[in-house]
Amino acid sequence: MSSDRIERPTRPPGGRTGAVAALSLAVAVVLGDSGVVTLALPEILRDFGAGVGEVAWVLIAFNLVLAVVAVPAARVCVRGDPAAVTTVGLIGFALATTVCAVAPSLGVLIAARAIQAAGGAIVIVGSLELLVEATGRERAGARRWAAAGVAGAALGPVTGGLLTWAFSWRSIFVVQIPVVLLVLPTAIALRGRVVRDRGNLDTSPDRPHVLANLALALLSAALTAALLLLVLLLVDGWRNSPAVTAVAVTAVPVAALGAGPLFRSMRAGTRSEAVAGSVLIAGGLTGLALLPGAELAWTIAPQLLVGLGLGLSVDSLTAAALRDRVPRALHGGWTISARHAGVVVGLAILTPIFTADLRHAETPAKEAIASLVLDAPLPASTKLELADRLGHRLVAERGRVPDLRPAFKTLRVPATQEHAVAALELALEDQLKRAATSAFRTSFLVAAGLALLALLPALALSERSRS
Amino acid sequence: MRRLGLPLIAVLLVAAVLGVQVAAGGGNYVPRQPANPCVPRPIPPIQPQLEPLAEQIVLLGLNSAACRLGISRERLVLALADTRSLNRRAPAALKAGLRDAVDRLNRAGRLPKVSQLLPQALNQAALPGIVKTIIDAIPAPLVDSALPTAPLLRRTIDDLDVARLLHELNDPRQLNSAVQSAILHAALRQILDRLHP
Repeated sequence: MSSDRIERPTRPPGGRTGAVAALSLAVAVVLGDSGVVTLALPEILRDFGAGVGEVAWVLIAFNLVLAVVAVPAARVCVRGDPAAVTTVGLIGFALATTVCAVAPSLGVLIAARAIQAAGGAIVIVGSLELLVEATGRERAGARRWAAAGVAGAALGPVTGGLLTWAFSWRSIFVVQIPVVLLVLPTAIALRGRVVRDRGNLDTSPDRPHVLANLALALLSAALTAALLLLVLLLVDGWRNSPAVTAVAVTAVPVAALGAGPLFRSMRAGTRSEAVAGSVLIAGGLTGLALLPGAELAWTIAPQLLVGLGLGLSVDSLTAAALRDRVPRALHGGWTISARHAGVVVGLAILTPIFTADLRHAETPAKEAIASLVLDAPLPASTKLELADRLGHRLVAERGRVPDLRPAFKTLRVPATQEHAVAALELALEDQLKRAATSAFRTSFLVAAGLALLALLPALALSERSRS
Repeated sequence: MRRLGLPLIAVLLVAAVLGVQVAAGGGNYVPRQPANPCVPRPIPPIQPQLEPLAEQIVLLGLNSAACRLGISRERLVLALADTRSLNRRAPAALKAGLRDAVDRLNRAGRLPKVSQLLPQALNQAALPGIVKTIIDAIPAPLVDSALPTAPLLRRTIDDLDVARLLHELNDPRQLNSAVQSAILHAALRQILDRLHP
């Protein structure tokens, strides 16, 4: 890499505010799509009557294709006009998103998600070039691109959760269509504006920044766990509604967006930011593994740690991976590929762990339920009837954290027993929450381990202050 | 120092959050662990009625049977719900456990007298009205001397076909009828034994 080969924008600094905002929005929407369906998965599962393993492919397909297509898309972008390539990507993304919105089956939804990711990959790498052009400054454009990606990734699950709660999972895709089409005129308007130095095209490209991309991949794997596992714990384990969960997990994006203003004034440098970010993410995930109760409030502080780590490290590592390397779009593609490969690896490692742990949690949970029912201060006849109803609930919801409320809802007992029955219901709910929380523990700890592994490449980074 | 500052702040923040969580019991938020069935549970006060007495005998009996089988009381109860997964030694262990329970209640002086249980038992029994009236007219001291509670319960347990009863757990009516019939037979045999020592 050499500074004389850096691709400079053709426009003078100052930029176009509207174009910058539109392109940032496109990047945020596409990268937000990576986890936007996380909170909608239970509803998609019910709609299509599929299993958890099949529905997980709605997430996996998008991230896998994004990881695979990002670098080839960047190569196309480098050879052609980024604005034209971005336009094609936006149209492809909008069409595939429309199919996602009306998908009649899970297979169609997964296929459309894959095409959506391919279009999205083109939009992402093209937008990097266009943002540099629109801001008029190399570093400012790249930083804006990275920040939009962080914002999108952090806000995606929350937005998806709120839309699912307010309308349905299909609305997640419906709202994206006009947003993406809104960016189309900007991309078309920038056609022919990015002029390349032919020398850069004729010489071999700089090698990807292996350390920064490796750290990005490991942290993305850990962050996937933070969002996916936390959402599953809150919705399926603790029985919160998607809306309450969406509000609860806003702590991550709030902290991610606040990390810059809070810490950037320290000008600590890329390595320090990446190291601090990795420590914060690992610490936050360990905090989620050591929750002392099933109240949402206990998740806030660990989430804030994860969010601060996300805001500090992903932005900083992306900037390091792009700094002084040409072609810029290609290196942008490498960072996207690394991040989403990390997401897929994270899902591949953690999904079997937490599904197995959930299965293993069944026996201690059943034993705890049996123990409480046996020792309840209720007549034997009430206990027997309740045991029968609870047994049916446990069989009906095998493989999931069971909802025991229906077993109590229709139970008719004398007024003298009502208090004891209500207390037993609360105690059983508490046992289920305890079982679910402890079932997620290993997964959170493994994810924390992935974040700690990211410390190795982060520590090996060269220290450069961000200006 | 500036470069060390940020990682140091991160470590302090993490330590503070984890410190608070661990101090509040983080890591110990797990489901209730089953108690050791071989450690005797305290016996609560028992009302002199059939259902509370039967419940205590069953609860203490399950504990004793689980101890004999080397599993928790809760695991045994869950296995009883699915007889296919039941240990072959379970019926014998249950019978022995129920006998242990009667002995323990007897030693603790918690077994009510048969005369105290008789009115309720007669109420539930499918006997002709005239028979019920005659039995009801027998003085309590005579009933209690003819039918001491502990031997009557032991005899009842010995008469029970536990393996068959386990298959009838889902049919409370059949279960009730089997237990009532065992009690009646035990009572009759005990009275006959008294008459022909």
